[in-house]
Amino acid sequence: MKKRYLILYLFPAIFFAVVFFIVPLFYIVYISFFEWNGLNAMKMAGIQNYIDVLTDKSFILAFKNTIVWILAAVCIHIPLGLMLALLLNRKIWGWKIFRVLYFLPNVISITALAFLWYFIYHKDMGLLNWLLEGLGMGDSAKGWLTELGTALPATIVPFAIYVGLTTVIFMTQLATISDDLKEAALLDGAKGWQMDLHIYVPLVKPAIVTNVMLNVAFCLKNFEYPFVMTSGGPVNTTTTLALYIYKKMMNANQYGISMVGSIFTVLLGLCLMVLVNSLQRGKKGD
Amino acid sequence: MFKKFLCGLLSVSMMAMLMTGCGSSPAPAAEPEAGEQSNATTVEEASEPEQPAQADGEVTLELYHSWSPETTRGEVLTSLVDEFNQLHEGKIHVNVETNPDFPAYQEKVKTMLSTGTAPDIFHYNYNPNDLSYFESGLLMDFTPYMDAEWSERFESSDLETLTYDGKLLSVPFESAGAVIWYNKDVFAEAGITEFPDTWDGLLEACKTLQDAGYGGFSLFTGDDAWYSVNLITALWIANEGAATVNASTSFQTPGMINALNTYKEFCKYSTSDVIGGNYSVAGANFSSKKTTMAIDGSWFTSYQDEAVIPSIGVAPMPANGDGVATQGYLVTDAQTPWAASAQTDPAKEAAIAEFMKFITSEEATKTLTMEGSVVLSAKLELSDTDLAGVTEQMAAYLKVNGDAPSRTTNLQRNLSTQAGAELPTLLESFLLDQITAEQFCEQLDELN
Amino acid sequence: MKKIKCSKIFIFIFLVLIAVIMLTPFVWLIISSLRPNMELLSNPFSIPETIGLQNYREVLTRQPMLKYLFNTFTVALIAMVIDVAVSVMTGYAMLHQFRFRKKLSMMFYVGLFIPANAFMVPYYIMITRMGWYDTLGGLGLIYGVVNLPFSIMIIRGYMETLPIQIIESGRIDGASTNQILMKLVLAMTRPGIVTVCIFIVINSWNELFFANLLTQSDKSKTITVAVKSYLSAFEANYSFAFAAMVISILPTIVVYVFLTNKIIGGMTAGAVKG
Repeated sequence: MKKRYLILYLFPAIFFAVVFFIVPLFYIVYISFFEWNGLNAMKMAGIQNYIDVLTDKSFILAFKNTIVWILAAVCIHIPLGLMLALLLNRKIWGWKIFRVLYFLPNVISITALAFLWYFIYHKDMGLLNWLLEGLGMGDSAKGWLTELGTALPATIVPFAIYVGLTTVIFMTQLATISDDLKEAALLDGAKGWQMDLHIYVPLVKPAIVTNVMLNVAFCLKNFEYPFVMTSGGPVNTTTTLALYIYKKMMNANQYGISMVGSIFTVLLGLCLMVLVNSLQRGKKGD
Repeated sequence: MFKKFLCGLLSVSMMAMLMTGCGSSPAPAAEPEAGEQSNATTVEEASEPEQPAQADGEVTLELYHSWSPETTRGEVLTSLVDEFNQLHEGKIHVNVETNPDFPAYQEKVKTMLSTGTAPDIFHYNYNPNDLSYFESGLLMDFTPYMDAEWSERFESSDLETLTYDGKLLSVPFESAGAVIWYNKDVFAEAGITEFPDTWDGLLEACKTLQDAGYGGFSLFTGDDAWYSVNLITALWIANEGAATVNASTSFQTPGMINALNTYKEFCKYSTSDVIGGNYSVAGANFSSKKTTMAIDGSWFTSYQDEAVIPSIGVAPMPANGDGVATQGYLVTDAQTPWAASAQTDPAKEAAIAEFMKFITSEEATKTLTMEGSVVLSAKLELSDTDLAGVTEQMAAYLKVNGDAPSRTTNLQRNLSTQAGAELPTLLESFLLDQITAEQFCEQLDELN
Repeated sequence: MKKIKCSKIFIFIFLVLIAVIMLTPFVWLIISSLRPNMELLSNPFSIPETIGLQNYREVLTRQPMLKYLFNTFTVALIAMVIDVAVSVMTGYAMLHQFRFRKKLSMMFYVGLFIPANAFMVPYYIMITRMGWYDTLGGLGLIYGVVNLPFSIMIIRGYMETLPIQIIESGRIDGASTNQILMKLVLAMTRPGIVTVCIFIVINSWNELFFANLLTQSDKSKTITVAVKSYLSAFEANYSFAFAAMVISILPTIVVYVFLTNKIIGGMTAGAVKG
């Protein structure tokens, strides 16, 4: 009796997992061994696609860029979010308003955000260069998205600074910390940043894991920012794996190559999963 | 027992999905999911209007094109389709869907063809080095409908080009020459009275324009890099002559390398968003007088701001003054023919042919050229009174177009799909000094 | 005492600064959307000479923006129905012990790290073969799939925090497993469900990859595709683009302003506990 319900309840999830994750996985592995432009007959290519992809500079760049995105998430985005959460946690005058303001960009579509930042970075009519000029630093004005050195950081900045969601997740965790603990710490003479560092940070570890997971997942499929702001240019310096897959299929019609890119993306995801998983174990060990 | 049942269910659904994935069965077994059932209703509702229409014997055709109805040419095409629909009321109805982003439009058509969801009628850039459309066997054969009267409308060479394996798989439609459009008023303001007839002279002019606070050519490297490649192709022709360029199978020629380096010079007089820019950005730069020249087809004015149109003039392509190329040669867009997806229903096929005949008729061609500012493949004689009816810009364009001593296709249009996809990256690395002109040509050859 | 106050003022200024950095672009966006294109192109930062709603009027008459907003919402709704139904069922089943529980749990976890974008081609082929290309249902289904691992995680995580005794007491009262699920669990999981719904709405408002791939005509285009088209369509009119962006973000901002507490509270109901 119970077993029947169990199967009934689990069926949809398993159905979706099989149809939309496992079958496609086999499918992309299968196609990855063919040369195919989507229109004409498929030609067996053996592991040629894999060789092509691994020797393709733009793929290496895309892979590297995706890692850079993930590093930016872990090293800038999440710490910034944590810092803001800790500051807001001090319940300074107007903290609720700040919380609302910080979260605001998260309800706005990334396409619109990226589009907006495209204009901010524009060499002639951009807000950033105008501000620099106003501050007397007109020399450092440049086409932020068109120069090799600045393009990648420029596409990451909007993501890195809009930390509203991350902050809110941290704050919720902070709110669950019991008052007794806080008082005990205060009695011990802890104050300000000491309190933050020694009491709060260790206690929000579960939220850190959640945020890492969320942001890593986001970076792995990050497509909108580079696609809207630079289409992956200049010279592929801003291409991410998701954009690489898209371009190989849509622009170059190399379905096989695109699939190989997909496979490596999935593999990267699995590696990151193992990494995050070990982080989570660390959490439980505490 | 239940485990077995579960396994059975799983393998069935897996099979169903594999089959759909491979294309042999139209739809998977019914889903048990509430959410999905609501999807199914959405689909049914969406396709419902077609059902009664077919019962009446009316044939519905889906037409997909890239001429935004907000531009003059799109407007004219829309009104022609409306006219066709009125003429064939109750028999044929053409539904129009547009996507003004031409590179994206082409990608979409290809992916749609590959999954069998292609629109009935669409246009595309013909590329002699990428015959995947023809080889796919997914296009309708127009041979049975191409009677003497209809074939009279076209150049026989055009029809030959579009014939593959004895089948006429496309109908010639547009073949646009690109000319230099420039802002006469700004040139005058900068003190340039005559448009230079050599490329060196034009570089000088760009310097003068820069001193006056204006840029030279509108250029961009994104998407198909259309403006940039037009300029490179033009410079190459000036260096080696149209006949040599047309026959060339390699890019590693001194003339091409020199053209690239001159192009780089011109980029210095363009805007900062050459790198990564696209057609719309470059067009807006001309509208806002940040640049003063663009090499584009007859449709150029229809994308410009109304305020700037009266200032626009047309200039013939300069040469090098050494007699290698004759001034006024044309760089052309790829021939852009109509195609239709292969049909199983003969009535539908006949309807498509009917529409094709209509849209390539002398009357429609004339309307499109005169009112929509497009130059088409189909034959057209314009009388002097006709010419008096077009805008000043169009008249100037038609003159340069008619006088052209030679025509050469923009080199990007003949690249293989892979090479075409890599072109923006190559151009950007060249402009950012990562590779030399020689390496550019070498890599392009390799990819092609 | 005084020292603390000093640091508080310092923090306050810092917070204001961050808010200014985050929000200046939006102020600029709104001002720019009210200016004519040519003025914007030639003098983006001058004091506006002409200000008006003409851009909005143009954008709204040229493109069915409201229809796109409606499409986006419908797609999100379809994804919500799928995800909430599947996740609640799964979450409830996973509360019980059975043989493959651990393996299944692992599978859902792996799903979190598999970027759905990698399945672009298979999904495209599936949706077109099912005849759902360019329909709201097709895109909604894919959004449901994309968000499914995450919603399972959140709803499961939330359910695990529920007091199990209540369910047990329900069983003693003689209610069937089905009824327990419907009445009790569903009611108690509400905060988790709200979280999932908000995530899906935000993601649907963000998503461009599949929206670009699976839609074509006005009947299924979402707002992101419409906004993107302003950057790539042939005629670059930045004022219109800005106006279109404001239109695209307006509904979410209005909803957000009115429901701030619910959203921020709900947003994290499951996330942290998971």
